[in-house]
Amino acid sequence: MKLWRSTASFSAAKENNPGGLADRWRQHWLRWLERRSPASSTRVLDHSSLLILPTGAGMAFLLVIFLLWLLSTNYMNNLIYGLTFLLLSVFIFLPLHTFANLSGLQVQFIAAAPAFAGSFAEAQLSLAGAKGRAHGAIQLYWTKEKSVPVDLLNNESSLIRAAIFVSRRGRLRAPRIKVESSFPLVFFCCWSWIDLDIEFLVYPQPKSAGPLPIAAGSNSTLQSLPQAGDEDFIGLKPYRLGDALHHLAWKQYARGRGLHCKEYARGADRQLWLDWELLAGRDVETRLSNLCSWALEAESVQLAYGLRLPGQCIDPAVGSRHLHHVLSALALFQIQGDGAC
Amino acid sequence: MMSIQGSVPLSRENLLWIFAAQLSVLLPHFTHLPLWVIGGWFAVVYWRLEIFRGRRKIPGKWLKLCIVVVTVVGLLLSYDQWFALESMVALLAVAFTLKNIELVSRRDVLLSMLLAYFLVAALFVFKQTIFFTLYGIACILLLIAALAAQQSLATARPWRAFSLSLRMLLQAAPVMLLFFLFVPRLGPLWAVPQHAAKAAIGISDTMSPGDFSGLTKSVKPALYIAFEGAAPLPHQRYWRGLVYTQFDGRRWHMTEGETDKINQSNMVKQRSLSKEEPHLRYRVTQEPSHSPWLFAMVQPTSTTLGVQDTRDGRLINARPVSSRFSYQVHTWLSGKFGGREALSDIERQQNLQLPAKGNPQARAWAQELVQAGSSAEEISQQLLQYYNRSFTYTLQPPLLGSNSVDEFLFASRSGFCEHFASSYVFIMRAAGVPARVVAGYQGGEWLEQQKYLLVRQYDAHAWAEIWTRQAGWQRVDPTAAVAPERILDGLQAAAAEEFLQGLSLSRRLPGLDSVLLEWQMLNYHWYQAVVRFDGKQRQQRLQYLLQKTSRLHFLWLLVAVFIALIFSLLLLRSRMKSGARLHLPAERLYYKFCRRLARVGIKRDVGESPRAFSWRVEQQFPRFGPLVMDVTAVYEQAAYAEDIAAEKQLRRMVRGFWPIIFSGGCR
Repeated sequence: MKLWRSTASFSAAKENNPGGLADRWRQHWLRWLERRSPASSTRVLDHSSLLILPTGAGMAFLLVIFLLWLLSTNYMNNLIYGLTFLLLSVFIFLPLHTFANLSGLQVQFIAAAPAFAGSFAEAQLSLAGAKGRAHGAIQLYWTKEKSVPVDLLNNESSLIRAAIFVSRRGRLRAPRIKVESSFPLVFFCCWSWIDLDIEFLVYPQPKSAGPLPIAAGSNSTLQSLPQAGDEDFIGLKPYRLGDALHHLAWKQYARGRGLHCKEYARGADRQLWLDWELLAGRDVETRLSNLCSWALEAESVQLAYGLRLPGQCIDPAVGSRHLHHVLSALALFQIQGDGAC
Repeated sequence: MMSIQGSVPLSRENLLWIFAAQLSVLLPHFTHLPLWVIGGWFAVVYWRLEIFRGRRKIPGKWLKLCIVVVTVVGLLLSYDQWFALESMVALLAVAFTLKNIELVSRRDVLLSMLLAYFLVAALFVFKQTIFFTLYGIACILLLIAALAAQQSLATARPWRAFSLSLRMLLQAAPVMLLFFLFVPRLGPLWAVPQHAAKAAIGISDTMSPGDFSGLTKSVKPALYIAFEGAAPLPHQRYWRGLVYTQFDGRRWHMTEGETDKINQSNMVKQRSLSKEEPHLRYRVTQEPSHSPWLFAMVQPTSTTLGVQDTRDGRLINARPVSSRFSYQVHTWLSGKFGGREALSDIERQQNLQLPAKGNPQARAWAQELVQAGSSAEEISQQLLQYYNRSFTYTLQPPLLGSNSVDEFLFASRSGFCEHFASSYVFIMRAAGVPARVVAGYQGGEWLEQQKYLLVRQYDAHAWAEIWTRQAGWQRVDPTAAVAPERILDGLQAAAAEEFLQGLSLSRRLPGLDSVLLEWQMLNYHWYQAVVRFDGKQRQQRLQYLLQKTSRLHFLWLLVAVFIALIFSLLLLRSRMKSGARLHLPAERLYYKFCRRLARVGIKRDVGESPRAFSWRVEQQFPRFGPLVMDVTAVYEQAAYAEDIAAEKQLRRMVRGFWPIIFSGGCR
């Protein structure tokens, strides 16, 4: 179960025993997996990647078969012998059914949504059955508790969300995802670890750092700012007769929040700057978390905000695209090539 | 790796499947389960469904504990014998019931489903007829379907689950057959609990007046006897089972320890009786009697494992016959047995034993006979004549008091076989002739078609054996003296009216009777072929196969198997490659449509495309033109654009298309 954890950088538990035998074995296993089923965003399951083993329930069934055999032997009863052998034969043929249930299945990576560290990131995957075959009770997951079995009847396909817990910010390559099914009876479990080449963008975990630094912005950092043009969006105000129609906030209106008018200010004096320097004295991750929290807060009150990081700045604006821009900058800070201002 | 999730709550379908499976395996046990267990099961199922509907809560720890205590006490009160099969079944039923209360996780479900298999096995211990075998198989089908139905909503649909289950069982059947034929059978590893010996039907180890007339009401088969060669004549058909030597004034018993006395001189006897002497070989198949006594003609030996012969010339089995049992018997027809051997003192004493008091008239009469100087044979003859003169044979004898022999001989003078045998042996003993009562079956119905003798419970009979120095032990049947037709033609002839009154409807309706006989015959063959199948038969079959197949044959067989394997692989490959195209539902529907069109003479040429065909139809058969055009268009949409809606539309069109009716309607 822990196999996939070691593949990616974001497992905290993995470096427990770096040089141990288990770890070496894991490495070996992963290399083997890599050879057998290389990363690809679409994957059709077949014998090269599917594994199958009896489950605990299967062992219990074998125990039942053994007890039935004892019963038949002791009673010298041919009908119970027949029953025993019938169940044994069913058990023998069962792996074929379980295997056929997964083989031919096509798994495709559709999209991965960005997530905050310390929460679950979701990827959208598509499952498509082989032509003319029904597939039952398939689970696709990183975390078993979050998965729901899916049935695919004739030629159906289905969209699935798979969630994974992400602990650290950055651009994270997802580990292998497990496709599993123990259909039709629970006695065998067939599974595959497939690498769908999924990458998540993980924002820092938002941590509150007090109220928005509106005052601070106007004091210390305004002077150094270049004039950012005449019309900068600073927020919304309720619509009054006579307001310019091209300033109407249609998006908000469409969401049923009433008619608002976008307010633009001349100059930068009322702009909010989320500045790295404001949080001096804290460590890097805490600073990023705090900036993240501020950005979310500013976005929620529709206040234009800009971001200043060492060697990088984003001009104030508001909107989901801007938020993503800002959060991405926070996520990738000091991880990838720093973007220039 | 365990794929049983605890998080998803059980759905209504899940519960219904489980309960259906449980009911199916419990149903045949309803006959012997205590009523409260059955009622309890239904109550708990109702309760669990109420929990599902949200009207009740899952019971708390204390309530559960209370229920467990109550059921355990209930079981203790209901069953006094714990190491018996019935109580084990009840325990399983109770386990089901208790588990149903807390049927929450998939693990509970699995446990419940696995327990069910044991109930099917228990059913097979009790019953081995074709009907119950089929029922058991149906249960397995349901159990597997129920387990598959737990997996997903799609398979919870009955049709899907059953077809899946059926497919799996059909696949498994050939392998099961191989296992069944070739896996060696070990003998019992330890003693197992048997039935709690209710001995509902059959001859018991004691005999008192009235016992046998009870048996005459049962048409149930007791023995099936198949002979090698001709069957013995009716007056020879005495199937000895038990020998009663001890009389307490009312009841006849077997002598303590006598049942265990195995004949040590077995080998000697076999050598002394050469094969030239007339002998009879036959196979007796005995219905469960829950006692170890087997039934055979006088002086039998058996080669069947576990069957031994006793000094008093009977067969007993090592264990009680709890399910149908079949044994081979070899009997010498020389009649007398133990002939020249003198009786040992103990035997003599046993066979002259009489209670100290009681039946003074009978004793006095015996003394008179002795004092008149009659020999043993003469006394016997006089007694039989006395029976013949003034006695009646009846199935409903009057009740007798404490001096039962006196009352029977000198007052009531009517009775059933046990009255005659009992009084006869009493008089003989009182006259100083060693004598004993023998119980078993007499007669039987020869079924010409099936080539076996069917002995039913109503053929139960009791007769006597006396010992004389000249002849050794010899059989005397006092009943024959009063009702000779009982011996020659069976009970039905001897007491026709009474007999028919006492019996169930089936014996009175000849048509029904023959159907029942056919059914019994089928069961007999089923039993011979499957239920009784043992290691020896297996070996014979193997040897037969090996002898039949020379090496060349074997080689051919291997080649054939190899070719078949390659063919099936190729077939599989081609199916996997083109299978999707060949079996597209739309195409199938279109072909069906073409077949139906062909019935009215509109045939598609080989290689003619659907569209070209539709054009041709429009020109040649304008009546069908629009329809064929429509169907073709929908088919193209369904087949090439893989449009599900179009496929449905096509299905509807083809299903509703019956060209004969169509053309008739057009005229």
